[in-house]
Amino acid sequence: MAHAPEPAGQTHAADAVASVVGLKVHFESRAGRVHAVDGVNFDIRDGETLGLVGETGCGKTVTARSFLRLVPMPPGIHAGGSLYFHPHQRCSHCLGAGCAVCEGTGRLPVTCSACGGEGCRACGETGVKTIDLSTLPEKELRDIRGNRIAMIFQDPAKALNPAMTVRNQIAEVFYQHRTQEVLERARLGTRPNPLLRRHAAQRSRLIERALLALPPLRMQRKRVERVIDDMVASALAETQIPNPSKVMERYPHELSGGMKQRVMIAQALACNPDLLIADEPTTALDVTVQARIIELIKELQSRHKSAVLYISHDLSLVRRICNRVAVMYAGRIVEIGLTEEIFANPLHPYTRGLLAAIPGRSHDRGQLVAIKGTVLELIDPPPSCRFVERCSYAVAVCAEVDPELEDTHDGHGVACFIHNPPDMAVELPSFSKLTS
Amino acid sequence: MTATLDPPSAFGADIRGEVAISVRDLYKHFPIREGALQRVAGNIRAVDGVSFDIRRGETVGLVGESGCGKTTLGRCVSGLIDPTRGGVYFDLAARDQERLDSILAVPEPDRTEEMQRQLEQLDSDHRVDRLGKQKWLRYRRNCQVVFQDAFASLNPRHHVREIVGRPLKVHKEAFSAQLTERVVELLERVGMGRQHLYRYPHQFSGGQQQRLSIARALALDPELIVLDEPTSALDVSVQAQILNLLNELQQELHLTYLFITHDLSVIRHMADRVVVMYLGKVSEAGSTGDIFDDARHPYTHALLRASPDVDDDPGTAMVTLEGSVPDPALPPQGCRFHTRCPVATPACGWEVDDVVRWLEDEPGMFDALTDVTRRNAFTADLIFSDESSAAALATALGSEKMPLAARQALVDMKLEPTRVHIAFQPVSPVELTVRGPGHVAACVLDRMPELD
Repeated sequence: MAHAPEPAGQTHAADAVASVVGLKVHFESRAGRVHAVDGVNFDIRDGETLGLVGETGCGKTVTARSFLRLVPMPPGIHAGGSLYFHPHQRCSHCLGAGCAVCEGTGRLPVTCSACGGEGCRACGETGVKTIDLSTLPEKELRDIRGNRIAMIFQDPAKALNPAMTVRNQIAEVFYQHRTQEVLERARLGTRPNPLLRRHAAQRSRLIERALLALPPLRMQRKRVERVIDDMVASALAETQIPNPSKVMERYPHELSGGMKQRVMIAQALACNPDLLIADEPTTALDVTVQARIIELIKELQSRHKSAVLYISHDLSLVRRICNRVAVMYAGRIVEIGLTEEIFANPLHPYTRGLLAAIPGRSHDRGQLVAIKGTVLELIDPPPSCRFVERCSYAVAVCAEVDPELEDTHDGHGVACFIHNPPDMAVELPSFSKLTS
Repeated sequence: MTATLDPPSAFGADIRGEVAISVRDLYKHFPIREGALQRVAGNIRAVDGVSFDIRRGETVGLVGESGCGKTTLGRCVSGLIDPTRGGVYFDLAARDQERLDSILAVPEPDRTEEMQRQLEQLDSDHRVDRLGKQKWLRYRRNCQVVFQDAFASLNPRHHVREIVGRPLKVHKEAFSAQLTERVVELLERVGMGRQHLYRYPHQFSGGQQQRLSIARALALDPELIVLDEPTSALDVSVQAQILNLLNELQQELHLTYLFITHDLSVIRHMADRVVVMYLGKVSEAGSTGDIFDDARHPYTHALLRASPDVDDDPGTAMVTLEGSVPDPALPPQGCRFHTRCPVATPACGWEVDDVVRWLEDEPGMFDALTDVTRRNAFTADLIFSDESSAAALATALGSEKMPLAARQALVDMKLEPTRVHIAFQPVSPVELTVRGPGHVAACVLDRMPELD
């Protein structure tokens, strides 16, 4: 992998499924401009699980939602940066079932149409199709949402539509993104009735719906619906839901929390996405259910080899399921690296503080090392290290200059002057020097 | 668990200390109402026979999954709701406590009139839901609650002085300038200050809101604070601040905590003793060391192995529990955990409902089931609409599809064309048994067998 001479974590390489480059998302408020996400750089490599951790309000959810442009604008403002995404297509050899050509993933990369794989400016010299999610027209984005990038939300009770049965919710994904396959599987010939085609794409209008309710189209419509039923049932079965055909007819309120989250996961994985964004998927669940959902996500990820962006504030969970971890603080990535590296050798004072704050078996009662103070107000932040006020090692330079995320070694990046001293003749911070 | 109260509390008789609160055989059932006449169709057995003591100055942790009744129990203890049966006793002298336990150990019909009279006396003096006005006020002062959702528990239209000073006003402790000073004192105690006096709850972060809740709870200098998941809505770094604060306060003010949470790492850090609840009953209780290092109940094991600890090796697999918590309106027979237990034995209370639950998860089978005629919880006839379903059930009952323990517990099965007669061995509820000093568990097994 060619490391570009760019900030650590940002490579925009061919093996990355998505690259966030200098992303800035701000919010306009009466008190001023809130810099919720303020220059975030990282890559998500194909097939890896990247953990994004941080406290409430550090911008992790906004970052995640930016991938699908789910941040409401206004009040949100896209203030700069790009989100490059390399969409794959379904493997033409096995139709997504997994074969030798696609290495069992059922997905193949798409060559850049501008240069035919040579590498050009449009694809960032990678030769694979690259789209910028931050500027993509809404219409094209709809083809990505739920198809190539899927999302699992924190609270399944709120994310599922209470007025739709489980079947109808999951069916939407297939109607929207698998229209052709549905028609083929319903054996409606090469040129099905346009009314059916529109029905299978969820585009039929009132009068057409009336026609579809009458013979002869009625029978064909039923055939389409039976195919959808099968697809929904197999999607549910994949998340180990017992008796999917029964669960399908239920409404979300009839299911337990764990079951609802399974339905969400089934819906997210229905189209075998390249990137799955899991935004605190287990926070609303019990420990026992959480353990099962984590095992399920792990298992499905190893089967589909999708990349996963796993957002959480629970470090002990992230440690178990992520290959790499990015630690976010006040709209910035402060540290990024391999999970073992981050946990064995945390470089940023904030990461150290977070790790020390978890009550583990090695702590004595009342001896938790809490990070003092609270998260910085992100309204027009000063050009300093964002952690300076809570940092026990901060010196004068920390309050004046903003440290960049720089690679220390082997892709372990950190934004702190302790490790990346500035080119200035000033007093430098150090872990051996407590300043406050 | 009405018959025996031996040990008198879930902690056994060996450990004695000054008891702040005694929970005795507590039941809280919520009626399920149905139809136009709101007829009572059943009861949600939220708390179903729980006994334990909380001693002065200690922290008792109450853990369990959501829906196990831990919050209901906390509400009963704090007097926010009245129990259906049994009671919460406070301020019992050691002699009174012994007398109470000896009376409660006798089944109700066998009690003599003298016993009954004594019990009524004890009830009216010490039982939280029977107190007279003066004593009730005293109890309310001495027992405060900190709720999970700090924002929801603070009045959004009142500012801090009003919120934190409210208990002082209600109990006529302080007014005007004096009240302000008392509030400032309380705020400083929880790490806040005078500058926050006239702000509204929405102007604070989650951690600060929880600090306000704690300040309000401290206002009347209580003895017991019921902490109902005080940190589960907070970030780890803020959680650490709050936990440290709670520990400091406990040491300075000699507070007693009932700490309700589902987070085992927090419990291990905070609690002196732990009560593990499952479906309204105590499944295990003991000192924190006993529970975390020598758990005797499979449910405790499952909880422990499902919650990752940062000090653990990340490579160890999280052991997961199958199935979900059964309906608390129809709790399972025998041991309530047997439906999900990885080490269940034939003596754990396998029953007809287990078969019905299994049918629900089997495609097509549940729809074919037309009727269940029960003789009791363990014996019934299952009637199907077609012969093949009945035959399929009969085969399944003898095959791998059913847990081995359930098959062993099945004493009789007869297949008639559309009817399957099943009979499991009858089992009485599994009671808590002593496993060590102050350590009790409700499991038929003496020790947890090694899993894989």
